[in-house]
Amino acid sequence: MKITLPKFLRIGWLPFTLIALMGIAFIVAMIRYTFGIGAISDLSYSYPWGFWISFDLFTGVVISSGGFLMAGTVYILRIKEFEPLLRPSVLTAFLGYIMVAVALLVDLGQPLRIWYMMIHWNGTSVLLEIGICVMLYLTVLAIEFAPVALEGFKLQKLAHLIHKFIMPFVILGVVLSTLHQSSLGSLLLIQPAKLHPLWWTPILPIMFFTSAISVGMAMIIFESSLSSRYFQRGLETHLLAKVAKGLPVALTIYGLLKFSELAVAGELGYLFTSGTMSVLFWAEILIGVITPIIWFSIKKNRESANGLLTGAVIVLVGLIFNRFNVSWFAVKHPDPLFYMPTFMSNVKYFPTLPEVAVSIGIFSAGILAFGLAAKYLPVFEDEHHAAHAGD
Amino acid sequence: MTEIKHHAYLFDTTRCIDCRACMVACSVENNIDMDKTRIWVAGLGVTGTYPDLQRGTMVYHCMHCEHPDCMSACPVGAYTKAEDGPVTYNPDLCIGCRYCMNACPFGVPHFDYDKGIIEGAFIDKCTFCPQRIYNGQEPACVETCPTDALEYGDRKELIAKAHARIADHPDRYIDHVYGEFENGGTSYLILSHVPFNELGLPDLPETPINEVSEQVMEMTIPFALTWGAILTGVTVGVSAYNKKKEKNAAAGEKTEASK
Repeated sequence: MKITLPKFLRIGWLPFTLIALMGIAFIVAMIRYTFGIGAISDLSYSYPWGFWISFDLFTGVVISSGGFLMAGTVYILRIKEFEPLLRPSVLTAFLGYIMVAVALLVDLGQPLRIWYMMIHWNGTSVLLEIGICVMLYLTVLAIEFAPVALEGFKLQKLAHLIHKFIMPFVILGVVLSTLHQSSLGSLLLIQPAKLHPLWWTPILPIMFFTSAISVGMAMIIFESSLSSRYFQRGLETHLLAKVAKGLPVALTIYGLLKFSELAVAGELGYLFTSGTMSVLFWAEILIGVITPIIWFSIKKNRESANGLLTGAVIVLVGLIFNRFNVSWFAVKHPDPLFYMPTFMSNVKYFPTLPEVAVSIGIFSAGILAFGLAAKYLPVFEDEHHAAHAGD
Repeated sequence: MTEIKHHAYLFDTTRCIDCRACMVACSVENNIDMDKTRIWVAGLGVTGTYPDLQRGTMVYHCMHCEHPDCMSACPVGAYTKAEDGPVTYNPDLCIGCRYCMNACPFGVPHFDYDKGIIEGAFIDKCTFCPQRIYNGQEPACVETCPTDALEYGDRKELIAKAHARIADHPDRYIDHVYGEFENGGTSYLILSHVPFNELGLPDLPETPINEVSEQVMEMTIPFALTWGAILTGVTVGVSAYNKKKEKNAAAGEKTEASK
């Protein structure tokens, strides 16, 4: 017997998987809201921040940096040829920040009070700056993306109106992004006693900003490549090749900063004497900096679809690894409640399955939303841009 | 009792007998579970090699720093440092971000991991027993301590007392009062017969560790304004340049056409 599903239920395997993962995350989140964070996670007095912060906050924010890079390139520098990459980047950023916000609603002990950040200000707190920047930037991204959505709903006039007044928002968006991309690094400035000296430096904000630029470029290549495969549309290889050409430059600056900072601080010795930490550091540098510099310096790799995607994935893996190192692997917390003589070293944290499931569910929702937007809104349709190009 | 200008504790590892009465007293006074008590005792076990064996116990609670990192980190300002010493936490403002736990070099703030959204998950930490100290009593843990391992008094006087005790028994103590200068000074002072890092206390500089992040935060608004102005300038400049180029191109076309 052959079962035929009604048409609206016939969805592909990818959307189906994504929806299933979202369902799992939803159930886990309900358990968390009922029984507390401890019921589903391995977070403890010693490790108050774990996988959620490393993945959802640190990774989520940094992979959304393509949005402000492209907005700045197309609107401020008026390099019009990159226009086809603008809308997908802004969409990724918009969804990325929504995902960050949703994840924080799971991670916060008092999620209903998230808006307190708008009225109760403690000026010395880096987290306050990040909170406010993210809230404002989410609004800016909504405005930047609004014309696309409005065009999708055939409200061309309104779309044009917003487009006309977009410049102040673009500038605000770039300023806010610069601030909080770097402030995520500043977040760890208060932990010199906990973060390993290979990563802790007073210039953490600058390191974070320079690496965010590289991640943004890699992300633009990554999302364009994947969506061109999934939707079987043409790939803007010549444009992506130009982005890829910039990557070795950005990464070299980042790498040089990193090593010269260590040299100035007199901490080069840690590169070889810190055991696991040295290995983590070198792995991060090798994957995220050295390999992609070589890879994208080869013209052949920049000009083939596979070469571009592979290189972008290498950059993303390496630099996301950096975010995990900084916010988790290289952080040692004291465990004053149950401590043993070897105080700083015997506290363990390992994310539980439900903890990871929440993040995966939220991420799945993001991918699904991207897919739906790409399918039903003029995100990738180049002809729409022609109308706006001459504004 | 003399008037106390700056409330502080002094703890002496050599006097502590690991009876944990302070934990019970804290639990009773503040009405909290024993496994969530705001003071905790950590036995170091037997250290050293025979025949020079030693035992040590460390009693640990909020250090009531002079420049508290929890307060510096808290986005919504739920922490307050009183001029006379205590660092206190206000649950009415807390959003549960747990950045204070990350920021505290001593790992002091605790969090309600077992509370859902209805009960509300909050931070918990030592309050310095304001209901007692402002009524002329000692904090609960200090009053209970049978061996005077925990003492309470004015910070300056306690520091003087600690140094006097070291001078009286130079063979017994490490010649340092932990908390006199660490992290810009703390209001929980520690005397020890074993190195402080063996007690689990971090090596901290004399400058408060939140100084770096606070300096960065001070630069934020000037930086944002400058960067915004630069970007506006670039936008205007690029747009003017493009217009000029278009105009020239148009003019060029005209002259071409007139030829």
